[in-house]
Amino acid sequence: MQTLTYQFPASRTTRRRTHIGVVASGDLEVLLEEASDADIAEVRVRTSVDGFDTVWHATLERFFTHTPLAGRWELNDFGATPAVVTLRLRQAAEAAQ
Amino acid sequence: MTSVASRDWQQILARRSFLEGDALERASALLDPDGVAVLCGPFDRIESPWLEPQGIVPQADDGVVIARGTLDGRPAVVASIEQGFQGGGTGEVSGAKISQALRLAAESSRAGTPTAAVLLFETGGVRLQEANLGLNAVAEICSAVLDLRPLAPVIGLVAGEVGSFGGMSIAAGLCTRLIITPQGRIGLNGPAVIEQEAGIDEFDAADRALIWGIDGGVQRAAIGLADKLVDDDRDLIRAAIIEAVAGGVPPAGTHRSERVDVLGSRLASIDPRNAPAPQDLRQLWGPAFEPVNGAEPATAATSSATASRGRLWLTALAGVEPVAVIPSVLRADTTDATYLAVVPDPDNPFHRARNGEVGLTESWALAAAIDDVIASNTNRAIVAVVDLPSQAYGRIEEMAGLHQAIATAVDAYHRARNGGHPTVAIVVGHALSGGFLAHGLQAQQILAVDDPGVEIHAMHKAAAARITLRTVDELDELAKTVVPLSYNVRDWAQLGLCDGLLKVSDAEHPTAEDIDSVRSAVDVAIAAARSGPRDLSNRLDSPGALANRRASRAVRDVMSAQWHSTERP
Repeated sequence: MQTLTYQFPASRTTRRRTHIGVVASGDLEVLLEEASDADIAEVRVRTSVDGFDTVWHATLERFFTHTPLAGRWELNDFGATPAVVTLRLRQAAEAAQ
Repeated sequence: MTSVASRDWQQILARRSFLEGDALERASALLDPDGVAVLCGPFDRIESPWLEPQGIVPQADDGVVIARGTLDGRPAVVASIEQGFQGGGTGEVSGAKISQALRLAAESSRAGTPTAAVLLFETGGVRLQEANLGLNAVAEICSAVLDLRPLAPVIGLVAGEVGSFGGMSIAAGLCTRLIITPQGRIGLNGPAVIEQEAGIDEFDAADRALIWGIDGGVQRAAIGLADKLVDDDRDLIRAAIIEAVAGGVPPAGTHRSERVDVLGSRLASIDPRNAPAPQDLRQLWGPAFEPVNGAEPATAATSSATASRGRLWLTALAGVEPVAVIPSVLRADTTDATYLAVVPDPDNPFHRARNGEVGLTESWALAAAIDDVIASNTNRAIVAVVDLPSQAYGRIEEMAGLHQAIATAVDAYHRARNGGHPTVAIVVGHALSGGFLAHGLQAQQILAVDDPGVEIHAMHKAAAARITLRTVDELDELAKTVVPLSYNVRDWAQLGLCDGLLKVSDAEHPTAEDIDSVRSAVDVAIAAARSGPRDLSNRLDSPGALANRRASRAVRDVMSAQWHSTERP
């Protein structure tokens, strides 16, 4: 298991805290809450699979470039592929705005 | 029941699956849409404190959704297990969430708002990464089901995917009504575990027809171990739950787990040396949970003479020669206490229960002996002398429903405790898994002898290592820091479940002083049980719980506050 933290610039605000997904095989849960700082998306990833720091960074960077949603993001991952990660992030963003 | 085959294709296409939803979707599908409140939800962040130190990613709600609302206008709380997270395994937090929800429903019911509980069983059993705390959580859930059941209906549902296995199936066996789908399975020991413990001849875990033939919803309903078979359809399942809740609380003595007579008669009707096939069992037992004509359990029995710690300590503590309820269950009465132990019986007709395991007839015999004590109209104490390797892992056991048999024993211990019989357990040897749930964990006071031969756990070490994909060495290493994983009784005694760790000079060959000191500790425990609470709440307030069950206590406090702030007028 590995814990990774990232920050991305953001411009939109989270209106509703949101919970999406399950820590199930090939899946992840996303918790998104408003944070005090409106310009930053703070992301903490806990993943069961070690060594994918670069892939996580690339996946998250692409998402936050497209969806610069500020807030405190917590991802609890159980081996989701980048596509599933992006899907869950989009679901969370849609529900939170 | 309307089977899928008998419905036309438009109905089939319009059907919305229940079991494909996640835990929250399933809970929401049952409750009335307005005013559903999720308690101890993900943003309360009471996650398992034991997983991250083992390198396992936790889930924010620990895989159980507690949703409070109404069911066709009647107050209800739903506990929905997320099967995707750790196989729906019961951990400290997820277990505490279920037992506290049941406790709060009972509290509201007593205060004049009968509040039903619906439990969605999708679980492989105790989460072995939290072993002893998971096992205890199951015991507390069983007790909480039984505390609520006389006040408001507790409805169990086994929908599918994972099914219901392990200790939680005992809780399912205690429910007012149990609803199952054809996809659902319920049993105590899962097929893979039986194959691992007893070999492929005993149970071929790859044989799906065999698995559903024994554990499947159709079979369980056909032999009366489930009350209703419903297709996987949100509307049908919701309607079945509403109907079951509307049925109210049946009279005391009529619940399946209270029918010691039915269990005894059913077991007497089968010959384990020439066991019927699951299909034949449908004819023999039928869907009504009633005694089988002409089948009475044998009463006169002589015990085998096989030496065991259980027999030794039972005889020593009671100070009289025990009598055999059946050859593998011994009873010894003093003037004010009845001592019970499960002992090895090499001639046990149930071949998977020859080494002191708690099997079908052992569960029945314990329940029958306890009922006999209750019928004596005294306030005689019950002392469980515990030395058992586990529950019995076997095919006949699952076919006949070992989870239901153990539920009968658990119900009897609870009935005695609630009726004012102080209940005490004294662990003198092994106390593992479902065996300990049946015989020991419902006691108000639990004592253990401080000896390397005393081992308390959710599963024996080799199996626990295999199932959690570790080596035994890795497991031992982790157990040094993760207290509930430890096999050392001194660590177990730190969990807040132990009311006395008793020093003896020799647990195998106790001296007169050893026996005297343990006997006086048992007497002290009986007195404490007599004056203490009749439920298991003291386990959350013990000094050990303050240190090692902080998460359980947080669940209790947070859920209680949320429950009372969402109180309906």
